[in-house]
Amino acid sequence: MLEVSGLSAGYLGENVVEGVDLEVGVGQAVTIIGSNGAGKTTLFRALCGMLPVSAGRVRFDGENITGRPTHRVARAGLAYVPAERHLFPGMSVRENLLLGAYPGRPDPSALQLVFDLFPRLEERRRQPAGSLSGGEQQMLAVGRALMARPRLLMLDEPTTGLAPKLAKSAYEALQVLKEKGVTLLVAEQQVPLALSLADRGYVLENGRIRLEGASEDLARNPEVRRAYLGVA
Amino acid sequence: MTAEPDAIVESDAAPLGVSARPPRSLIRAFWPIAVTGAVLALVPLWLGDSRLMMRLAVDALVFGAYAVAFNVIFGSTNQLFLCVGALAGVGGYTSVILSDRAGLPMAVGMVLATTLATALGGLLSWIAVRRSLDVIFTGIVTLAFSLSFANLVLGQRKLTGGETGLLVSAGDGSFLRDRVAAYYLFLGMLLAFLVVFRALQRSQIGWAFRALRDNELAAELAGVDVARYRVYAGLIGSAMLGVTGAVFTHSDGFISPSTFEFGHVDVRVLVMLAFGGLGTLLGPVVGTVVFTVMDEVLVDSGQLRTVLYGLLITALFLGFKRGAVPATTDFLRLVARRARSRVERPP
Amino acid sequence: MTAVVLDGIVLGLQFGLLGVGMTLVYGLGGVLNLAYGQMAVLAAMVVAVTLAAGAPALVAAGAGVLAAAAAGVVLDRTLMQPVYRQRGEHRVLLGLLLTLGVAFVIDGLLVWRYPTGTLRLAIGGQAVPILGVRMRVGSLWATGISLAVAALLLLFRATTPGRAAHSVIQDEVGARLVGINPAAVRLFIFALSGALAGLVAETRSMTSPVSVTAGFDFTILALIVAVVGGLGNVAGAFLAGVLLGIVSTVSAYYIGQYITTIVLLGAAALTIVIRPRGLLGR
Repeated sequence: MLEVSGLSAGYLGENVVEGVDLEVGVGQAVTIIGSNGAGKTTLFRALCGMLPVSAGRVRFDGENITGRPTHRVARAGLAYVPAERHLFPGMSVRENLLLGAYPGRPDPSALQLVFDLFPRLEERRRQPAGSLSGGEQQMLAVGRALMARPRLLMLDEPTTGLAPKLAKSAYEALQVLKEKGVTLLVAEQQVPLALSLADRGYVLENGRIRLEGASEDLARNPEVRRAYLGVA
Repeated sequence: MTAEPDAIVESDAAPLGVSARPPRSLIRAFWPIAVTGAVLALVPLWLGDSRLMMRLAVDALVFGAYAVAFNVIFGSTNQLFLCVGALAGVGGYTSVILSDRAGLPMAVGMVLATTLATALGGLLSWIAVRRSLDVIFTGIVTLAFSLSFANLVLGQRKLTGGETGLLVSAGDGSFLRDRVAAYYLFLGMLLAFLVVFRALQRSQIGWAFRALRDNELAAELAGVDVARYRVYAGLIGSAMLGVTGAVFTHSDGFISPSTFEFGHVDVRVLVMLAFGGLGTLLGPVVGTVVFTVMDEVLVDSGQLRTVLYGLLITALFLGFKRGAVPATTDFLRLVARRARSRVERPP
Repeated sequence: MTAVVLDGIVLGLQFGLLGVGMTLVYGLGGVLNLAYGQMAVLAAMVVAVTLAAGAPALVAAGAGVLAAAAAGVVLDRTLMQPVYRQRGEHRVLLGLLLTLGVAFVIDGLLVWRYPTGTLRLAIGGQAVPILGVRMRVGSLWATGISLAVAALLLLFRATTPGRAAHSVIQDEVGARLVGINPAAVRLFIFALSGALAGLVAETRSMTSPVSVTAGFDFTILALIVAVVGGLGNVAGAFLAGVLLGIVSTVSAYYIGQYITTIVLLGAAALTIVIRPRGLLGR
């Protein structure tokens, strides 16, 4: 569904990510793991048109979306949930979700789906988004992205600012989505969680893909274990 | 409100009015002022016979002084004081009221007037600092002050002469009323202001100002007392404005609200600096010369003159972020550097 | 006293709409449109000229509003583009300076072309007693139109495009992420703000003549209302407008015109210094 070839991007003329190739197939859950500063966010921003691409190509369902502006990438069916979430703080939970379906008319069944997945949001549906806790805001961000029934859901470090228990339940929700057939691409620092969800993974280091493979293989890989799992 | 363009790329556009680092050596730093002074001193020899021309020349110097003051306040510490005219007006009206109405000696009146203008300007700076007002809010507050002052003057007709203005008797008969003498006085003031501006740039304060402009947070962490330097800039600039306004009023012999209103003073200063360069040393001088000539040429065009100034402000700030002259000199310097490197490289 | 307050409400509703136009553009684009008042005066002059040419009142009114909206579109598509490329403080400053230049251009051209241009929409009819005060028909029309427009704005806010516009004010990146094109929204809002300016000029002319030189007065007024209400907050601007309208008429009646202007300016300055987020701002 998503094919990235030779992607390079960065800020002020200097590339932060270089020559990245990756693939996400329909219905798969793929993770990109790497530590802080590895370039995960830069990569995602480049995929979504938030950052200019200096080299390479991005194809989504066969369509070339390289360098397309963010709002048109969103309309093409690729929903991105950044680490900063970018919710609409003064608007209610419900309004935030309804806007997620833009430009289509708000679909009540989609709304119900999100509420089934995140009952807490239904409780708080009239509250302003800015008043929610960190975990609830993360749920809202994911819920908003789901309202457009995206073909591919990209999440950048969904566990940012979440306590371990909440992080675990976040991934449980993602697991539910995966079982419903949503294609997932998740960038994550918390490697065990990421590998438990994903079918395949890529290791991003200093802006380049160092390893790739099935998640079980990555979990067994000695380099990965040493660098990211704290195992000697 | 978050405002990010499509590409989240750090904008490397230099802030408007960035003050460049002044030359280190004393001679290189101050010779432009000396040369300017020498050149401008010759003007009366050429135009001294025409009362009209000398009047324009004095006007040009006065506006040059205003522009230097604006450079001190905005160019150094990024405080958008949209009350240049009003502060000068405080100097002018206070001095006239104290000397003509209250009977104080003219010199005393001028000193007190300057003090008041300085205090008001400093107060505005202090408020902006204490309340951490950003550029736009500072601009609005100072604009409110400017317009309020204009309305105050208009409203207090008995004291200020209202819209029709006042003839100023203090100073009548003194050297101030002689156009040529006044010219040299204002030239001296302008040169003094330029020296102050340059000295500030080279001083501890100037270094702190530049650190402030580049990165306020880093400057604060490095121990730069942002608040204090902002208020200093406000005080110094306002003093310049107040004294110029006071002296000009007694020299001109007439004062009215239109002399100091926003549309007349602040807009002109902005156009001048759009030409000459915000935050530069001689920008005010270049700007005032260009503007005065242009204004005289267009004097019969009435409203179309306003249109032209509008177009100039728009075009100049659009095309040349720092000002037409700095952009041109930057461009020429770039051309010269390229030419030099081509010569130096072996064929 | 009742008469003064009622007049204040009539004025205040118009102040409110005027402020809304200004605050919308700031909220969305981070730009203070100093040419705003000139857009209002442009509408007034178009109406005056169209009426003089014999067109029916409604057509003339529509032409005026359309002209101002068109001016907004042109401004957004041309000069505002380089402004939007800047960020934060640079954007505000550049926007300020460029729109100031545009203000002078439009002002100069209009005054040059129609040196004595004035718009007066005289609406005939008997004065109507409201709460014991005889209200002029012009005032009632102005009030009615202002309320209708306010209601429309409120309704619009609840629609999907309205929500989309509001979301861009709340978080522009977030808006992009859900597929909203901020550039299209900004264009629409600039046009809307022009239309509001034009409308206020027209309703104003129903109670007192609008002169071709009134541009900067309108701009300053809009700025004051927007600041007091909270920059970027539409409901705040409307509320601030009504309050300041009443303050304005009361002060003008009991004290004087010049002091009233100072009071209004002072309200803006005080808001910035004491409570920068304004009445209803975040």
